[in-house]
Amino acid sequence: MIKFPGTNCDLDVVWVLRRVSKLEASSVWFTDFRVGPWDAVVIPGGFSYGDWLRAGAIAARSKVLDEIREGIRNGLPVLGICNGFQILTEAEVLPGTLLQNNSCRFICRWVKVRFYNPRGPWLKLVPEGLTTDMPIAHGEGRYYIEGEAVVSGKPLIKYVGNPNGSAYDIAGIASDDGIVLGLMPHPERAAESELVPRGRSCGGLHIWLSIGESLRVGW
Amino acid sequence: MYVVEVVITNKRSVRDPEGETIHKELISRRGYANVKDVRSGKYLEFLVDSQTPEEALNYVRDICHKLRIYNPVVHDIKVRLSA
Amino acid sequence: MPLSNDELVEIHGILGREPTKAELNMFEAQWSEHCSYKSSRYYLKLLPSDGEDVIIGPGRDAPAVKIFNNYAVVFKIESHNHPSAVDPYNGAATGVGGIVRDILTLGARPIALLDMLFLGDPTDQHANWLIKNVVRGISDYGNRIGVPVVSGMTWFDKAYNRYPLVNVACVGIVEISKLVNKVPEANDLIVIIGNTTGRDGLLGSSFASKPLDSSEDYLNNISAVQVGNPLIEKLIIDFIVDITGLGVVKYIKDLGGGGLATAVSELTADYGLGATIVLDNLHLREHDLRPEEILVSESQERMLLVVSRDDLKVVQELLEKYGIQYSVVGSLDRSGVIKVYYRGDLIAEVPAKALAKPRIRLRDAVVPKHFNELNVEVRITDIPEVKDLRKLMLKMLRSPNIASKEWIYSQYDYEVGIRTVVKPGYGDAAVLRLIEVGDGLGIAVKGDGNPRYTYINPFRGAANAVAECYRNLVSVGSKPIAIVDEVNAGNPEKPDHYWYFTEMVKGISWMAQELKLPVVGGKVSFYNEDLSTYSPVKPVATIVGVGTIANIKNVVTFDLKEDDDLILIVGTTYPELGATEFLHVYLGLELGEVPLPRPSSELRNAGFISELVRLGYVKAVHDVDVGGVAVAIAEMCIKGLKGVVVDLSKIPNRGCSRYEELLFSETQARYLVEVGSEVLDSVVDLARKYGVDVGVIGRVVGNELVISYDGHILTKLKVDELVNVYENSLNELMS
Repeated sequence: MIKFPGTNCDLDVVWVLRRVSKLEASSVWFTDFRVGPWDAVVIPGGFSYGDWLRAGAIAARSKVLDEIREGIRNGLPVLGICNGFQILTEAEVLPGTLLQNNSCRFICRWVKVRFYNPRGPWLKLVPEGLTTDMPIAHGEGRYYIEGEAVVSGKPLIKYVGNPNGSAYDIAGIASDDGIVLGLMPHPERAAESELVPRGRSCGGLHIWLSIGESLRVGW
Repeated sequence: MYVVEVVITNKRSVRDPEGETIHKELISRRGYANVKDVRSGKYLEFLVDSQTPEEALNYVRDICHKLRIYNPVVHDIKVRLSA
Repeated sequence: MPLSNDELVEIHGILGREPTKAELNMFEAQWSEHCSYKSSRYYLKLLPSDGEDVIIGPGRDAPAVKIFNNYAVVFKIESHNHPSAVDPYNGAATGVGGIVRDILTLGARPIALLDMLFLGDPTDQHANWLIKNVVRGISDYGNRIGVPVVSGMTWFDKAYNRYPLVNVACVGIVEISKLVNKVPEANDLIVIIGNTTGRDGLLGSSFASKPLDSSEDYLNNISAVQVGNPLIEKLIIDFIVDITGLGVVKYIKDLGGGGLATAVSELTADYGLGATIVLDNLHLREHDLRPEEILVSESQERMLLVVSRDDLKVVQELLEKYGIQYSVVGSLDRSGVIKVYYRGDLIAEVPAKALAKPRIRLRDAVVPKHFNELNVEVRITDIPEVKDLRKLMLKMLRSPNIASKEWIYSQYDYEVGIRTVVKPGYGDAAVLRLIEVGDGLGIAVKGDGNPRYTYINPFRGAANAVAECYRNLVSVGSKPIAIVDEVNAGNPEKPDHYWYFTEMVKGISWMAQELKLPVVGGKVSFYNEDLSTYSPVKPVATIVGVGTIANIKNVVTFDLKEDDDLILIVGTTYPELGATEFLHVYLGLELGEVPLPRPSSELRNAGFISELVRLGYVKAVHDVDVGGVAVAIAEMCIKGLKGVVVDLSKIPNRGCSRYEELLFSETQARYLVEVGSEVLDSVVDLARKYGVDVGVIGRVVGNELVISYDGHILTKLKVDELVNVYENSLNELMS
């Protein structure tokens, strides 16, 4: 986990990686981060630099992102959750931009999502078309992209019931090979049944089980 | 038709953490030492049907005050005609 | 200057000379009502604050109560009423900042926030603006610091149209062995960390300690507007959690009301020490600040650390890692005197204890003239029969006080921290799992207050607020362990405003004592007045309570779970329509005798409910409060998406003669529970053992709420319709 000033969800992700994925995981302060010792990297949610200027804009200009780009070239799996996704798009590691929600308000609620073209380490155990639930909590989650061509064919996570006006209902997107995945919903909040509201399913579980298996036996 | 620009910033005596953070964490950290200060604000553009530019400006000023588009306790506003 | 003439004379006496400008500022800040509690200390001694689990009681910036496995819960409540009336966004935001820092002073990790808001009528333009911005302020700040707002309450009343009450509470946890609670000693260093000190917030406490004068004064009150920086706050949280683990800081204080002056004076007075402060060392935002301004500035996100000289280096390294600014401004000594230097000059020299605790001001309290007019007995014979019960039920569910607050809480990230097991809207209290303390362990937290009750009868209203908080904690299956209180009252210099304060404190003390709930901390907010009418905005006592949960799996929410289950009411119902939501919605009246507080029934019924939960007999539990049985049963249907048939004649009661009393009375100490029919006999037996009145009043069936009396159907409402009205009402009012 890379922790920037303002990152909030690092310990949540550490917990889930240890408990659910059964992997060793740590939160690393951004100035101390080097790709070297790690098999995968997560940029967790929160409000890096207060979301000031634009969400993720300041963190994206950090040298950490150069390390990450280098890592990705060498096949390092990278997951960006919520603010992490915003940082990855601001750093142009993933295509698109996250803008203010249509309603102009912060929204915290559970949503239904569907997975398309699942590929790569983070989605290895996800069946095509899996429909499940995860919570969102964001003010700038409206995904924007010029033209569908850029996104078609890539692994995608779409909202069933678009909560914020995202283009093509996109809640998350990965690189062609699936090595880099970014999504606005929080899978770490949907990985344990005691946190899942009645009538919803444990949507984040699949991602954590996937990375656990992928790092152990490949993808 | 006149285009009236409204720029809302925090008063000088009130903190501007967004401006401060952009200055300290982004601009200064990257070595652009000639930038001495950064202030953040909100920008709005009004398209106003009016006879004269003064009327348009006053109209917008009045709206901003009555509808609390800015909070006079905390904010300064510049209301100006678009160039 | 808010300092009175006799206070000025007294200061002259303490110093033996005229005070310097700096000293005057220090006294004005410290002796303001907000910081010194001079008008309230006398009565606050009534509050029972001890208990065997209370590790740190009132006196520090926050209390600590033992929970499980050598962990303690640290929680506190605060109000930010004045600033929110002037600048609702920043006022509410900085309220969150301040309360979180209080929790940090013991080294606790903040894990939850609660907001108890008393707002105006959403259809009034100004009130609507205040509401939107208060919520946005809490949302933007709380979300950025990564502490979930998990629970709260909101009350709408036009009395608050121009002046909201914003009460915020924070809950944190810490390992008892790591509590930052060492004794500061002579030679220790005073380190100020966090935001730079600036001109903002100058004399904010003295601002909060007098009535807002007029609208022009709003603009002149500019220096009292404080803007928060949640990024710095988040860094401070991370730093303090780390430093607590290392054990290298002896003592922490928040720089809140009165800024540096108050923090140093309280620290030195509490330990019989003195201090030497060199103001030049303090990291500043503006370099043209006068020293007397620096001393009392209330710039946000600043804290004071007491560090031994040996440990300074470790502390500095961690501060530098997080990029938190700091300055070593002075040291402690045994002199008992605070000496402040600036540019080599001694600008203040004040005895610490005399500064920290001004003389108690005994104020007069007089029963307000309207008391008798409001406290009339409401008899059912005075109330016209409800001809259209359906319409009334829908009107009640639409009422902003009852309707779903989803518009508000969906703006708060209530999931961050992955602890929130019972989320807003589904339980009588929020439930958090304590993953760091142990598997299956948890706490419940809730905040309550009813200004309709406290305005009519502050003693009863405050006592009932304690009882309601207690019931809510019990409903979800927790064991209530402690509470904190916030008393919001008017101008203490006016005897008929001050009376409200004294009565509320007495009410809280009495009920807390009866329920054996230690009041481990609290705050008093005075001078809450509507400036256009000079009447106090409805005074209210807000209670925030914490309960422990030994097994998260037993937690109960109030949504109905299964068809064919039975609905039972626990507790006796009396004809108590005074001060009810029913009276307000049906007849537009807010008067009558406030429902009688019933401490022994509370204890008995709570014991029974807790046992039912422990045995796994109940599938849903809902406390009965505002709106009576009508609202409670409707909410259970709405959240469970299930219908119910209810027979009001089965409600155990004494003295009720018409169905309206059974349906809408707000008698205390009652609960509705859902049980499977297979456990009914056991439940009834248990009730007998506990000496508790229960009645089987209904059954879960179909998709309508059917209200009947002895076989005669009074009304039927489709659950879908109830959901529609309840869930959308506030959304519609706010857009």
